[in-house]
Amino acid sequence: MAQVSGRQVFAERTAVLLITIVMLLPVVWLITTAYKPSNQIFSIPPRLDFQPTLDQFRNIFGYFDVVSLLRSSVAISAGTTVLSLLLGVPCGYALARSRSRYATGFAYFFLAIRMVPAIASLIPFYLMMRDIGLLGSWWAVVIINTMLNCAFVTWMMFSYFRALPRDMEEAALTDGCTQLGAFFKVAVPAARSGIIACVLFCVMFSWNDFLYPMFLTTLDSKPLSVALLTAYGTKDITWGSLGALAHFSTIPIVLMALFLNRYFVQGATNGVQ
Amino acid sequence: MTKIANFRLSKTTSVLGASLLALLATTAYGQDKPLAGVTLTLASQNDQFGAVLAKLAPEFKEATGADLKVEIMDYGTLLTKTTADFVGDTKGYDLVTMDIVWAGAYAENQYSVDLTDWVKRDAAELELDDIYPVILESLGQYDGKYVAFPFAAYANVLAYRKDLFEAAGLDVPKTMEEMVADAKTLTDPAKNQYGFVANGQMGAAVAQDWMQYNSQMGGSILGADGMPALNSPENVKSLAVYKELFADTAPPGAIEYDWGGREESFRQGIAAMMQTWSVGAPGYSDPAISNVVGKVGIATAPVGEGVAPEYGVGGWGMAINADVDAKQQEAAWTFIKWLVSKPIHKEFNLDGAGSFMRISQMTDPDLLAKFDFLPVIATTYENGNGDYRPRIPEYPEIQDILGSAVNAVLSGAVEPQAALDEAQAKAEELF
Amino acid sequence: MSQTSSTGVQPRTQTPRLGWLSRPRSFTDSRRFFLFFMAAPAVLYVLIVGVWPLAQGFWYSFFRYNLIRPARTKFIGLDNYIAIFEDRGARQAILNTFQFTLTSVSLQLFFGFCLAMLLWRDSRFNRIALAFLLIPATITPLVVGLIYKALLGADYGLIGYYLANAGIGPRTGLLTDSGTALWVLILIDCWEWTPLMALILLAGLKSLPADVLEAGRADGATAWQRFTLIVLPLMLPSIFLALVLRTMDAFRVFDSVFVTTGGGPNDATNTLMVLAVKEGLQFFNIGYASAIGNITILFIACMAAVLLLVVRRADVRINGK
Repeated sequence: MAQVSGRQVFAERTAVLLITIVMLLPVVWLITTAYKPSNQIFSIPPRLDFQPTLDQFRNIFGYFDVVSLLRSSVAISAGTTVLSLLLGVPCGYALARSRSRYATGFAYFFLAIRMVPAIASLIPFYLMMRDIGLLGSWWAVVIINTMLNCAFVTWMMFSYFRALPRDMEEAALTDGCTQLGAFFKVAVPAARSGIIACVLFCVMFSWNDFLYPMFLTTLDSKPLSVALLTAYGTKDITWGSLGALAHFSTIPIVLMALFLNRYFVQGATNGVQ
Repeated sequence: MTKIANFRLSKTTSVLGASLLALLATTAYGQDKPLAGVTLTLASQNDQFGAVLAKLAPEFKEATGADLKVEIMDYGTLLTKTTADFVGDTKGYDLVTMDIVWAGAYAENQYSVDLTDWVKRDAAELELDDIYPVILESLGQYDGKYVAFPFAAYANVLAYRKDLFEAAGLDVPKTMEEMVADAKTLTDPAKNQYGFVANGQMGAAVAQDWMQYNSQMGGSILGADGMPALNSPENVKSLAVYKELFADTAPPGAIEYDWGGREESFRQGIAAMMQTWSVGAPGYSDPAISNVVGKVGIATAPVGEGVAPEYGVGGWGMAINADVDAKQQEAAWTFIKWLVSKPIHKEFNLDGAGSFMRISQMTDPDLLAKFDFLPVIATTYENGNGDYRPRIPEYPEIQDILGSAVNAVLSGAVEPQAALDEAQAKAEELF
Repeated sequence: MSQTSSTGVQPRTQTPRLGWLSRPRSFTDSRRFFLFFMAAPAVLYVLIVGVWPLAQGFWYSFFRYNLIRPARTKFIGLDNYIAIFEDRGARQAILNTFQFTLTSVSLQLFFGFCLAMLLWRDSRFNRIALAFLLIPATITPLVVGLIYKALLGADYGLIGYYLANAGIGPRTGLLTDSGTALWVLILIDCWEWTPLMALILLAGLKSLPADVLEAGRADGATAWQRFTLIVLPLMLPSIFLALVLRTMDAFRVFDSVFVTTGGGPNDATNTLMVLAVKEGLQFFNIGYASAIGNITILFIACMAAVLLLVVRRADVRINGK
């Protein structure tokens, strides 16, 4: 991807910039509600200006233990992501490299698991967690999220590994590399972008999933995504708290994405690292 | 961390300052803190009282030694989590706020401790005769047994714009017929002014608002035999009027309003009349959230010509999870008694819970100074009806069936008769 | 190194196909064992955690089983399934769900691919842009619904007010009209998930062997030729992945619909999952909700199978046999 004209790069960047701005406008609206006095969030006709205030943040710190919410969100997302990758990446690799005719069957099995609507398994799972005493803990959420996400990671990595030529690993194996060595030193680095994408996916899915945590956690273990809903009262939506809480649920993900994207680079050329 | 702790502390001190009365209550429970070491977990609806309950927790600990953890949830989450807790016997919550319409399901499945004997035993301490009978009956009892104890009662009232009524030379409507006429008079789309607003969104939102109007128009969800009578002539007629109100006098977007949208439109000043729960009434004169400060009056809801005055009563009872052990149950009952005791419940309301339910509160000078609409609430409770939304176990399904039918009528897709006929057929299948 | 240059064209023939029935070569047992143990933990895990609840859900669907009315539990065979297809609202919901899924996923594929191509070039600017583009997907979908409901309201919404007063769309707001409401929900879905679609495709693009792309450039192919002859064929697995994933999730749309329209007006935006969640988590009608869940799985599986066939066909046509 070398030698492109500066003009083309400029055009591309302008397009990306415009798209990003348009996509972010609704988010900006949500975020700004956190700095508006409650009576200026809506007006007729709707206006964009307001007198900034930090009252909303004061409110949410009064109502919520934000640190505990953040801790739960991080624990659930991190646990889910690590477990899903540990289970899913090797499995995806194995299915992609296997020549057994069952491999395809298993790949579809994982796909099928990912299709299951939460509603179908929620209540049986709830009772299962009760019986093994994990109800109300982060583990309950991590276990169910890992199930869905590792199915997804397996599928995703299955696709990416298939897209990678196998000669590199085979060459490494012939050169006396161990099986595990060939996997970690050759296959994993080559599929780096796919793995990063999987990480982003797992984190985001478990970060903003609320149906399972709502059901499975308690006051002490509930994550931000569930707390956000608290602002959605029957009588009213407290937009200010929603906007203020949204800071805590959005910023960590953006930081993580910024960090991970450094590694989100063009994959290996065929055979060279 | 420290920041949060500091903040909590300052909140707590302000509460303590405002609550000399609470200290008096403390003595009633003895100085030895009988519940030291006990932790009660309370699942609370995210209504105004939720935050106040959380605020009262330190005071409760002061009085009894028990820790109170309040988990505030939105309505859907609360219903789902508490039902799962009851059905799965997981003992997650000791205390649960129970919506008036859940009483049937609670009673049928014995989710909650039957409080009947305790209420009888502690009648004097509870000062039962100071609580409106309609509240005791509809927020606490089902089939004569206490499935919960009332702690947050709401009156359905009419909020109206004094300035607009004065400018048009109109009096506050007493009957539904007057209300419809006034709504039409006060509607002027050119000035972005509408006479009336209510929920239109498919589901619980539109169903609950319509059931309220329907009952005021003389309709009823259940027949005399306790079975659904959704397509009775009265109901069909009231739905036709409701549709007319929506089409001619409500803000254009009202058909997608749920409670939040409805309240916001009123606070934005585009609607002249709205029926609402009394719990929100103080909000209209709060300059921090309202654009119609000083222009809002609260009156009893209108009733149909020739219909005996009956006003909607709703709200929340406090139930004790039947799965938790006896010691927790006793402690939970102590909390309920503490919460509804005269001084604490007054403080509860002064702090903005909007949950008036004692006769003495209606004439309390401190409360009256802050909430001038209390006489309206008193009248409502005196002629209150807590059953316009039938509190039967099948209520959620009936509400949903009506939510689809009424929304279909409002959207103009179906005629009232046809919609209610279909709804009736579906409702009958439930029994 | 030397291998690379000598086999510059080689990857074409090595290109993985979705037809993964490539002829087996001789393989050592140790390799097979190794692969078996790599796959086993995940398979076991999913079997234990995933299949049991699912099997229970399947079992429940043949019962009249309501958690709130346990006394009335009764085996009713296929009645739950029959009831779904007999209910006018549910039939409408099935149609809506299909319309929603097909439209929304197609739009997302198109825009997602464009976005991925724009972001392909490796630069700090693009990396930062990607991080920001992912923000919509980090917001709990229910809140996304609330945001759009607030913005689009005809009476005081930031967008809805001006649209309604300018006479664009229905006077009562875009979400209140049976003609426009579903389209608004489709656009909301696109807003939230197009960046994720782009992310999968971008990961696919970034995994393309660089030398193959270079070879195309060296051969003097035009940009369009490089796209259709090199990029697109190699991207088919990623496209399939992205399509299947989004189809599955779009078919289960719930949150944004639930808070914006509640399925209205007049069932115009009702979807299968809105029905299922209502039945399952509000009425605790587990039997009926499970039946809806199972029908959903069936529909998704059919769509995935169709997608697979289409992509495999395209694969054969483009990449040759």
